[in-house]
Amino acid sequence: MALGLGGCGKQSILSTRSKPAHDIALLWWWMLAAATVVFLGAVAMLAVAWFRRERPGLPFVGEREDLAQGMVLVFGIVVPLVALIGLFGVSDVYLVGQTAPPNPRTTRMTIDVIGHQWWWEVRYDGGRAITANEIHIPANTRVNVVATSADVIHSFWVPALNRKIDMVPGMRNRVLLYASTPGVYRGQCSQFCGLQHANMSLKVFAQRPDRFRAWLAGQERPGATPQGAQAAAGQRLFMNAQCASCHTIAGTPARGTVGPNLTHVASRTSLASDEIPNTPKWLAAWIRNPQKIKPGDRMPDLGLSEPQIAQLVAYLEQLR
Amino acid sequence: MTDAAGQVPRSAHAERSRAAAAVDRSRAAQPSGWWGMALFLCSEATLFGTLIGSYFYLNFGSHRWPPAGITPPEIPGPAISTAVLVGTVPLMVLGAAAARRGRRWSAVRWIVAAFVIQIAYLATQVLLIRHDLLDFTPQGTAYGSIYFTLLFADHAHVLLGLLLNGAVLYKVARHGLTNYWLIGVRGLALYWYVVVGITVAVLFTVLSPSL
Amino acid sequence: MATTVSPRAKQYTDELDRLWTERPGVLGWLTTTDHKRIGIMYFFTTLAFFGAGGVEALLIRSQLIGPNGHVLSPQAYDEVFTMHGITMIFLFVIPMTTGAFGNYLIPLMIGARDMAFPRLNALSFWIFLGSGLFMYAALLQGHAPNAGWFDYVPLASKQFDPGNNIDYYGYGLIFNGISSTIASINFIVTIFKLRAPGMSLNRMPLFCFAFLAVAFALLFALPSLSVAALFLELDRQLGFHFYDAAFGGAPLLWQNLFWIFGHPEVYIIILPAFGIATSIIPAFVHRRMVFFPLVALAEILVAFLGFGVWVHHMFTVGFSTLTTVYFAAASLIIVIPSAIQLFAWIATIVTGTPDFQTPLLFIIGFIVYFIIGGLSGITVAAIPFDQQVHDSYYIIAHFHFVIFGAAVFPILGGMYFWFPKVTGRVYHELTGKVSFWLTFAGTFITFFPMHIVGILGMPRRNYTYPPDMGWTLLNFIESIGSYLLAAGLILIVANLAISYFRGPRTDPPFEGDTLEWATSSPPPPYNFAVIPTVRSPYPMWDKEDRERDNQRLERGEGLLNLEHATPATTVQDAQLDEILSMPSHSPWPPLTALALTGVFAMLVMQHYWIAFGFLVVGGLTLLGWHQNEEQA
Repeated sequence: MALGLGGCGKQSILSTRSKPAHDIALLWWWMLAAATVVFLGAVAMLAVAWFRRERPGLPFVGEREDLAQGMVLVFGIVVPLVALIGLFGVSDVYLVGQTAPPNPRTTRMTIDVIGHQWWWEVRYDGGRAITANEIHIPANTRVNVVATSADVIHSFWVPALNRKIDMVPGMRNRVLLYASTPGVYRGQCSQFCGLQHANMSLKVFAQRPDRFRAWLAGQERPGATPQGAQAAAGQRLFMNAQCASCHTIAGTPARGTVGPNLTHVASRTSLASDEIPNTPKWLAAWIRNPQKIKPGDRMPDLGLSEPQIAQLVAYLEQLR
Repeated sequence: MTDAAGQVPRSAHAERSRAAAAVDRSRAAQPSGWWGMALFLCSEATLFGTLIGSYFYLNFGSHRWPPAGITPPEIPGPAISTAVLVGTVPLMVLGAAAARRGRRWSAVRWIVAAFVIQIAYLATQVLLIRHDLLDFTPQGTAYGSIYFTLLFADHAHVLLGLLLNGAVLYKVARHGLTNYWLIGVRGLALYWYVVVGITVAVLFTVLSPSL
Repeated sequence: MATTVSPRAKQYTDELDRLWTERPGVLGWLTTTDHKRIGIMYFFTTLAFFGAGGVEALLIRSQLIGPNGHVLSPQAYDEVFTMHGITMIFLFVIPMTTGAFGNYLIPLMIGARDMAFPRLNALSFWIFLGSGLFMYAALLQGHAPNAGWFDYVPLASKQFDPGNNIDYYGYGLIFNGISSTIASINFIVTIFKLRAPGMSLNRMPLFCFAFLAVAFALLFALPSLSVAALFLELDRQLGFHFYDAAFGGAPLLWQNLFWIFGHPEVYIIILPAFGIATSIIPAFVHRRMVFFPLVALAEILVAFLGFGVWVHHMFTVGFSTLTTVYFAAASLIIVIPSAIQLFAWIATIVTGTPDFQTPLLFIIGFIVYFIIGGLSGITVAAIPFDQQVHDSYYIIAHFHFVIFGAAVFPILGGMYFWFPKVTGRVYHELTGKVSFWLTFAGTFITFFPMHIVGILGMPRRNYTYPPDMGWTLLNFIESIGSYLLAAGLILIVANLAISYFRGPRTDPPFEGDTLEWATSSPPPPYNFAVIPTVRSPYPMWDKEDRERDNQRLERGEGLLNLEHATPATTVQDAQLDEILSMPSHSPWPPLTALALTGVFAMLVMQHYWIAFGFLVVGGLTLLGWHQNEEQA
């Protein structure tokens, strides 16, 4: 078991990069140890039953009903009571404070994450910067994530950093994101939310604070003006085909909110909620046939020709 | 051939009122049919507990209850009609007691009296609900949804009670107060005690914004 | 049990045979009110649903045997995993334990000739069958429920699930719930009123204590589910707003209502398994249960406390710390009555002289897996840990160990244990042992790795997974395990089926301590020629009492043979109170169930007036039911 766990795995709850996640992992190891002791103890009793199957009564003391009843009381009431009170104290009195929603006075910034079928809307600073499927945070900073949903119940889960929190329409749940070191941490929706629940992943980038500020400043700018004829054609196509009805590009007439904000789509490392890499080839594949990559997704097959797809890709690739 | 102990009755054979009453007296425990009705009513009472709980869950979860634009419920109409319904409980008590004494037609008379009043209650409630529907609907808000569902569920049970009244009265009048139908009358009375109690609870619930 | 009967005794038993034997043939089975026949019908029906649920499981595991599988499309996958959960819980495990085991065995164990309400018993079976066919009609149409067995809103609302998939779910659960409610009432009244004279409550078998607890739990838990489903359908069909945040409703209301039912449901699932274990253990370890009264109390406590813990399914929805901590505490307390029973069973096995035949092997397997499932359950009462592993494969591991390992293993062991009693033949013991080891190994290989893959971050209900997450090998192992498990289960069924036709016809090779072992194998239609006298919780070990029963048969005493009769006794002390005349053969239960099926079929197709028509028909069948005046 330890071989399969201990640090390996891109979404393991044991690959921790924050104090809450670390404490939970530690709790797990202690619980596992205690559980193993209990299990082996009970199996040992059954083994005794096997070896002593010809003789009635307990080992050493023989047929003592009062001792057998005492065994039930000790192992059935006393020992569990002690162990469970201990577990309760450690996990449900002490540790639970770590995973509780952070006190707003103790956090340095707030990010709104809104679940959609099947992508993540990420809003900074009341909407001054809006991105999707990728969350950047400064490392070593207490970040307050406010999670809600625009449609069905989703659940925001980045195991390396903290517990999961459900995203319920009409509720604003909060969870602390604190990364002790810079790095990239994978998350996944963990409340069944429909056909593409399996393909609703996200990445959290914890960056050095200066790099984070630079990134955020870039995200706050409006969408880049297209350079070159191919990209300009792409922008025109974007506005006239159905793209603008679902997607927003700040600084253009495109104001759709059904799909992710694409103002800085080229700055992201992945597409389709972390399902495919963000390269021109994959972007073209997505535009050409999104239903093949995410069957049931809200983005329809647009029936565009290859030159049209090339123009769109040229435009979108410039939106850094 | 003798039975297990000659003293206990073979209850199905009590086909006249006096014999049925004698069986009823001789029992040390409640008959199976009574238990069946009692347990069914536990389930129904839990159903209403859940409905009432849902009402308050939605209530406490919202900022304004009832929501803006809906007038809080009026007390007099519903309260008076429910009080009248509560008045049928002593009638059912007397009807069941008469049946247990073997007084077939006395029992029928008490139950008929309760029956008439219960019908009047239901008719009044229908009119009150129609009046409410002019102000708000179940499709407009969650308040409307739970309000009308709670009332409708309650009245469905009253309607079922009326149907049971009819069936029991018919059988007792036509076939006599046998052991079977004596248990039926006792079960019917039990049904009404609980349904009336539920109605009172529902009343307090839906009137709670105005209390 | 008397294997040689004197001519005089035979005269009496022939008379009882004449009174109690039911019609043969299809019509006889359709109109039966005999609890044994009803139990057998439940058995085969639930076994068929177990097969269906198993196929669904194998489809899931085949889809997940590697990343990016193409066995099932996302739509099909969502329907399959939803139907797997619904089938296993509502159409297999509950009706198998209550309907098959409970119905067949409880009257026999308490010394009665039938359940308290034989016709209602039949009705609960036919309604169950109707509800199962109703749900599967959805699958055949390609519109099976697809939002998971707990069907959270808003995903299950009309807006996000516009077809009638969810309507099959909502109506189907209400439909199925009627069957279980009727059955619970029947169990409680039977156990309260029909126990043999002298079987006071403290002399009742532990199996009956477990089923009494189950019946009360069902009675008080089902209304919450029915209300939840009612609200769901009102929202979906009539545009109400119970669950709609935009109109003042609350999505979490569904979760609360569902789990207020759902948590007691899991104790309802496991308690009968406890009851079966407490029947099998004494039979094979040759001693009574250690601390019997404490075990009985623990069984009741588990059912009762199970109503206070439901929020532990919702630790991640955003409730306050105080709320979650309260429910975690309650969840930990409930460990105690389970631990009491666990160590009572172990103490009984250790201090007895166990004979490890197939039924006892399954109970050992049950104990081992109950410990594993119970321990993983304790870990998720640690709120922060649960908040990491909730909705991951760790939870799937936990509940499969407790539901499959701990609830189904006793069912399998019970099938072996009572097979000789029910059929009069003996199964093949070596094959039985092999089938146990295959099933035990298959269970472990399938479900244990799920703990690991859940900790590695794999969420549940995903139709596929990426290849580079470190989950691939574990999923492969789990899928192979599932095929092994299927083989074990098939071997069990094959063993019993073949033994039914070709096993040696002899008396059972083992015997329990409860009254069903006092009858012939299979039991006669009247169960007991003489209503047994009971003076201890272990009637089969009171040889003088059983001998006295035989003597009374010779003298023609206590036969209750003037009619189709069974005695009723007082609730606590089981003093004889009256002689009940029981019904036999009635067409009204299947007709009523047919009408009710019509109601639900029309509702799901939105033909509301025709549905009302079927309701009226149902009312008429109830009038027909009450034409004669036997007990219900």
